[in-house]
Parts: sequence; structure tokens; C-alpha cells
Amino acid sequence: MDKEVAIIAYAQLPYEADNNMSREVMVLKATRAAIEAAGLKREDLDTVITANNDYNDGRTISNMRLVEPAGSWHKNESKVEMDGTFGVLYALTRILSGDHDIALVVGESQASVYGGILPGIMMLDPTFDRQRWLLNEVSAAALQASAYMAAAGVSAEQIAAVAAKNLDNAALNPFALRSLKGADAKKVLASRPLYSPITELMTAPRCDGACAVVMASAKAAAKVEKPVWIKGVGFSHDSYVTERSLDSMGSLKLAADACYRQAGIEDPASQIDLAEVHECFAHEELMAYEALGFCEPLQGGVFFDSGATRLDGKLPVNASGGALGANAEYATGLARIIEAAMQIRGDAGRHQVKGVKTAVAHGQTGICAQENIVYVLGGE
Amino acid sequence: MAKNEVAVVGVGLSKHVSKRRDVNIAELVWEAVSACYEDAGLKPKDVDAFATGNMPAFEGVNLPEEWGAGHWGAYNKPLLRITTGGTTGGSVAHGGYYLVGSGLFDTVMCIAFEKQSDGNSTMGLNTVALADAAAQLQLGVDPGFIASFGGGAVGVAVYQASSYMKSSGCTTHHLDKVSALCRNNAALNPYSHLKQPGLTPEEVAKTTLLQYPIRFGHVCPATDGACAMLFTTGEKARKLTDKPAYVLSCASASDEAALVGISGSGTTNVDPCEQESCKIAAARAYEIAGIKDPRNEIDLAEPYSPFAHQLLMFYERLLLCDEGEAPSILDSGSMNLDGELPVCPSGGVISTNAIGASAMERVAECALQIMGKCGERQVKKDVHKAVAHGWGGAVNLNVVAVLSDTPRR
Amino acid sequence: MEYKNETIAIEGSWNLASWEWKFESIALIRKTFEAMKNERKLMANKCPGCGRVYFLPKPYCLCLSIPDEWVEIKDTATVTTYTFTGAWAYEGIADDEVSGTPQIFAGVVFDGSDTKTVTMLEGIEPEKVHVGMRVKLKWPEEVAGGLTDLAHCVPLEE
Repeated sequence: MDKEVAIIAYAQLPYEADNNMSREVMVLKATRAAIEAAGLKREDLDTVITANNDYNDGRTISNMRLVEPAGSWHKNESKVEMDGTFGVLYALTRILSGDHDIALVVGESQASVYGGILPGIMMLDPTFDRQRWLLNEVSAAALQASAYMAAAGVSAEQIAAVAAKNLDNAALNPFALRSLKGADAKKVLASRPLYSPITELMTAPRCDGACAVVMASAKAAAKVEKPVWIKGVGFSHDSYVTERSLDSMGSLKLAADACYRQAGIEDPASQIDLAEVHECFAHEELMAYEALGFCEPLQGGVFFDSGATRLDGKLPVNASGGALGANAEYATGLARIIEAAMQIRGDAGRHQVKGVKTAVAHGQTGICAQENIVYVLGGE
Repeated sequence: MAKNEVAVVGVGLSKHVSKRRDVNIAELVWEAVSACYEDAGLKPKDVDAFATGNMPAFEGVNLPEEWGAGHWGAYNKPLLRITTGGTTGGSVAHGGYYLVGSGLFDTVMCIAFEKQSDGNSTMGLNTVALADAAAQLQLGVDPGFIASFGGGAVGVAVYQASSYMKSSGCTTHHLDKVSALCRNNAALNPYSHLKQPGLTPEEVAKTTLLQYPIRFGHVCPATDGACAMLFTTGEKARKLTDKPAYVLSCASASDEAALVGISGSGTTNVDPCEQESCKIAAARAYEIAGIKDPRNEIDLAEPYSPFAHQLLMFYERLLLCDEGEAPSILDSGSMNLDGELPVCPSGGVISTNAIGASAMERVAECALQIMGKCGERQVKKDVHKAVAHGWGGAVNLNVVAVLSDTPRR
Repeated sequence: MEYKNETIAIEGSWNLASWEWKFESIALIRKTFEAMKNERKLMANKCPGCGRVYFLPKPYCLCLSIPDEWVEIKDTATVTTYTFTGAWAYEGIADDEVSGTPQIFAGVVFDGSDTKTVTMLEGIEPEKVHVGMRVKLKWPEEVAGGLTDLAHCVPLEE
């Protein structure tokens, strides 16, 4: 894909534990900010995709009351019940098909409304796993972490150091909910233990938040300053959590391979300037390094230790703090796209990395990153 | 104009009954998916991507494809989950159209389903309004008082029906005739739920009155069922089959939802039968499809009508006649299987309603009629162009697709 | 495909009590109810973006603005849609099928607002109700400050 569809504007609301507004008003604020940033009016939108989940929202057909707040009144609207990054994929196909020129994608959820653990539990196989009450998103991730540690020889300290890096970066991101300036592995390991080896500071904090992006066809993006082009996309659905090996991210690799083919990326480690990864748990970032081809398989820990993914490294990952900084589910991956686009535009403020021309953004849905999507974004 | 021509090359439906206790969700869906592979002569390896959806509150499973999709051949493939309530199946079909039309994927398996017997349908429906009910309690509103405005057992449909009847001249006899037409068609459809061969309008008129003007015989059943469709490029379709059904266009539009559900109040959408968004979606779909005169160019319609009056109301809102004309068109026999513009030859949603699948089954029936695969219920006339519709949300979401036997020019 | 024989039912439940939804509308509507009780006024909120006036007040507008200006609207209204609970006014319906007292529900738009409110009509034969007819809120003798105060409208003599 070369200069066919661009991200022309975006907006995030500050992520908060309880943002003291209804879901509808939250979505309206994100929508309006994104449309204004694009210099457009509601009337200019052709299609609107919301990304949210009925269980998180506690409402069946949860998109139906977002018609007005998401600007989709009398517009071609749909809902993707996956992370907002998949909403971007749907909007992308709607534009590429030629039927639409300008699309808005909004991702949202409010942890203060849904509590936390229930939507994840409801994802389990209802006939067996759900009845046993052993698995949930965190315990499953702990199994994933242990399997990966054994396979790749990674230590809990290394995983904690990934969390420390992201929480330190998050201190520079005004939207982040959780940050720890100068954090180190020791502090992360000393935080509240959940399921070993996972501690609280290794998990992405569920919170309230919404973010939105405006996308445009080449024609509609012609007059836009600093469009960020979608150069490639790939996505894949992995096996159910108990039916796959948890020591690598197979579907992320499939997604990345497809994406790089489209974007003409042959050597991601040298051709990618920056990556924003949707790491629900710190160890998933190490696994993502491998699946995204930044290093060889099982070399995630070694690659991290090299310092390459630090803010001043040669391939900074999660300069924004990533999902560990804020995790408004269904908006979290979409925020990765926004952060990557900000870096390409040079609009990232205090966590800006110099000279970002090509960036990777990753989103996921499901237990242990069952569904993954990867984008390569680039500037002019 | 889509990069790729989009065509339907296979349709699969599961058995549709009220309670499928012999299969779980994944197995129920597999019935439809395997039938679809067989119909198209394709295998899971030939599929480039999947689109799927249902209404998750009905089964009590969040993202059911997480554990079920392995059964359908979707593991290690791209999968997009699209859920929009009653319109879900239509929205998933739209997803298939865009995934293929974008040029990103050649062959896409679209799957929509509902296994209502796994959950409690009333609970499933209650969750639509549960948050609003909670808000009303906060306002000190007596739930019984609200219920008295709500339209009783059939909800907002009674307002819509009487509002439509007043504006169109439709009588209760027309509602009876719609039910008889659909249930008789359903009797010819092996995949329908309520089959009532020989049912007469007079018999429908004798069923229990739920709330004026709606009788038991005017309302859809709750069904377990699944629908699968294979979408591919025009080029591939022509290699696979002599008679693919092309998807010329898809469009949707949304009206304003009512404010916290208080008696349908607080919305500028003041008349429930107006359905402006259906007209907008239909007009846009016809425009993209290059249809200038839908009344003469459309050969068959599958409006989404869980309640009898909606078949007539949406026939009008799909711009197939003037407003208020549908009842007399029904009387003329034009909507029958051997009529000029057959409507709901499948038996429609009023005969079979596996909620998440229903709006896709409208698209599927249009495709099957175009492909000439409908057996006993195949309409008499040649079907060149057909329109499929879906409706849902808080009386506010509409999806429309136009299919044809020839590709878009 | 043949049906399989064996079936195993597994009980489960999902706890619907664990969501805590957030609403602006509750506070807004309470404000309207207070004005009804204290000042016998109907207060609506107006959108600064497009001028639509919402009654009951709504925290967001379809033009993406936040309606934040309070305006008084009139207690006279126009009927836009209606239905009858009792079927006796219609052809072919036996009286014994009608339960309870026949009631006329109507969607009305109060003068000065742009949105529908559902109320019951009193003092008119059902067959005389028509879209476009003018009605007036029947204020209760004692205004309770709640939705029940808006329950009844009567035809307006003009």
C-alpha cells in the first residue's frame, strides 16, 4: 500500500481511573477533538466505526447509543467488537473499497463501570474453563510468562525492567494514568504480586478512556499537512488459549509478516524507527520483539538488555509508556497507532524520538494476545 | 467504486429450531460453515479472512470466536468481529463486502449466528435497556409506570405499528396477510423455523392479542441458528460457478437513539415508523449500485421484519413504492412467490429469528434466489437485482445491501 | 446433517449486578423535575451548536455539542405519533380481548423543544386523535417533581 489511506488527525482523552463522565459524553469529547484536529466538520465524515465491547460497556448493542456522540447520526456506521486497531482495519477497507473517503474510528471503555475481571472470564470456553474458575486474563498471562521465560531463558528481573522502562517513559506522556519516573526492576518486583511471576506494575492498568482517529483516502488527504500513511497491515487470529503453545506469539508473527510484505519491509530491525506495542503485561513486549522480527526468536531478553528499545535506543519501543501507562480496553491499541503517528509527525512532545520516519503499531484482543494486528506507518 | 468486484459463491445455513440442545455454539456454527464450504466447493485453506458476529448477551459468552473459531477453520487467519445488535448479520456481510472490495483479501468467510437457547432471551433483551432502567430507578421512577408506556410484551413495535397503520392505511387484516404470506413461504424453506403451510389470514386473526395491533401470529419466534456466506472477487467467482451473486453495494445509516430510554423520550426522532435512516441507507446503496429506478430495477426484496407491519413499512422505506402504497401492493399479490416483486420468499424474520444471523440470512436469501438455488421457494420470475435489509438497535440502525446477477458496471 | 443424540446442559450465570454505569442525564433531569415542582416551569436544555432544544434535557447533541443553556419551554405541545392500549376503537377486535382501561399514548413535542416526550392523552375520543393535533400538559394539582407530572396531556382549545 503506498499512499492510499492516511491518518490525518487523532485525539486522546487523558486516561483516568474514574473519569466522572458518561460513556457517551466521553466518546463525544474524543470524537469532537479528533474532527476539530482534522479541520473538519461532522458533516464531512462518510463512515464511523466504534470499537467497544458489550460486556465492558454493560450494554447489549453498546454502539446504538453512540450514534450521536460518535458523530454517526444518519451516517454509515458500524461496530467492531475488538480493539480499536481492528476498527482502523475496517475503516481502511471501507476507504480502499472506494465507497468512502473520510472515516472516524473511536475506541472506548470505562473500567470504573465494568469493574475488571468479568469480561475476560466471559471469554473462556463456557463448557469447561469457565466452570473451573482457574483461568482469567491475569492467570493465563502468568502461564504465558512462565512458558516464555522457560523457553527463552528470560528472568523475572528482565520482565520487571521492561515494565520499569515503560513506566519511566510514561512519566513523559501527559495522557498516561500510571507512571514511575526513574523506576527500576526492583521496584516493579516489589509491587503487589498477582499470579507469579506477574506483579501489579507488570500489568496494564485498566482504566477509563477513549481515543479517536480520522482517516482519509489519498484524494481527501491531498490538502492535509503531515498525513501519516498506512503502508501495511496484517492481522491474525490465534488458537484458543489452552490449545496453543504460549511461549511465542504465533499469530503476531503471521500478522507482522503479512504487514511487512505489504509495506515492503525486509529487515524490520533496521527499517523500523520506532514501535508502539500493545503489551497487556510486560513480558508480552519481549515476546513481541521476536514476533515483530526486531530480533531472532527467543532473543527478546537479550535484545532488551542491549538497550535498543529504550527511549534513546536505536529502536525505541513504547516511548509513550505503552499499555502499561494506561489501558482503556478497546482504546489501548488504537492509542498505539496515535502515538506512532504522533512520533512520525514530530508531535509527541516530551517523549518525542528524533527522526522517526517509519513506525510500527500493534494492537491485540483476547486472552494472551489471541488476536493481533500490526501496522507500518510512514510520513511523506 | 470497489477495487474488486465482490461476489457470493456459497451460502450455508444450519438447521433452525427453537432449541438446539444437541450442539454447542461452535458446533452449531460449523453446520452452516461446512455447508457453505460445500456449496462453494472450497476448503478452509482457500479462505483468506473471516468476518463474524452475534449478539453476545444472548449466549452469555464474550467474543465466542475466541474458543469457537478453531471449529470453523479460522485459526491463524485474519478475523474481524463485527457486532451491531439486530443488524449484526447484515453488518458482517457488509464486512465481507468491504474486506473483498478493498483488494486486501480475495476470499472471505462471513459467519453470523445466535444460539438463544444457551441463554435467557428475556435477559438478553433486558441487557439492552438495563443501564437505562437503572437510571430511571435513580430518578425515582416507578418501574411499573415506565412499563405502562413501553408497549408491554412487544415493546416499541406497537407504537411503530399503529403509527405506520395510521399513516399508510394499513389495517389489521394486512398484518394477518403478511404473516400468512411469510409462514407459507417458510413452509417451503428447509432452513426456516416456523413452518405453517396453508396458514390463512383468518387463522392469524384468531391468535392471542398481545397489545393492539399486534397479535401472537404477527411476531417472530426465538430461534437457534447460524448462517455462513463465502464472498470472493468477481474473477474468482466466475471460475468457481456459472452463476455467482454479485454484491453491488452496501450502505447503512443510523437514527438518533432515545434519551436513557425513558419511554422513548428525548429524541428528535419523533415518529417510530419514519425510519429516515433506512431511506438514507437505501438511497445510498442504490446510488453506489447504479440503480436509478429501484421500483422497476429491483426484482426481489428481503426486508427485516420480525413484526408483520415491518414488512410493509420497510418495503416503503426501501424506496420500492410511495409511502402508504405497500398495503395495496400486498393486496395485489405482487409480493407473492409468483408476483412482480416477491418479498421475503425465505419466510422472513417473522418465521425464523436467530437474532445475530437474521440480517445475514436476508442477504443469503437474495444471493440464493439470484443463483437459482432456492428449490421449492424459488420465485417465478428471473431475479436480476435484489435488496436485503437489516434493522436493529434502539429502533435506530438500518443496513441495506444490493445484489445482482451481473457485476457492477 | 443428522442430529446428535447426547446433550449435556451446563448451568452457569453471569452477574449483571457488577456494572456501575455513569450518567449525566440523571442530574439534568432532576434539575428539570425541581423546576417543575418549585416554579411550575418546564426547563429544557439548548444546544449551542445547532440550536436544538432537548426535553427532557440531554447531555449531548447529535451535532457533537454539549447542550448547556437552560431555556423555559411551553406546556403546550403537538402530537407526532400515538397508539391506543385499548383496541375497542378498531374494527374486528372483540371487546373481551381488551384488558384494563383503554389509554391513549402519544408522542408529543412541547412548544419550544425539538424532541419527543411520551404522555397519555385525556379528554378525547381515540378516533379523534390525529397527528398534528394540539395538546396541553395537564399539571397535577400537587406537582411531585417527577416523570408522573408529565403523564397526562389534554386537548388544547384554540
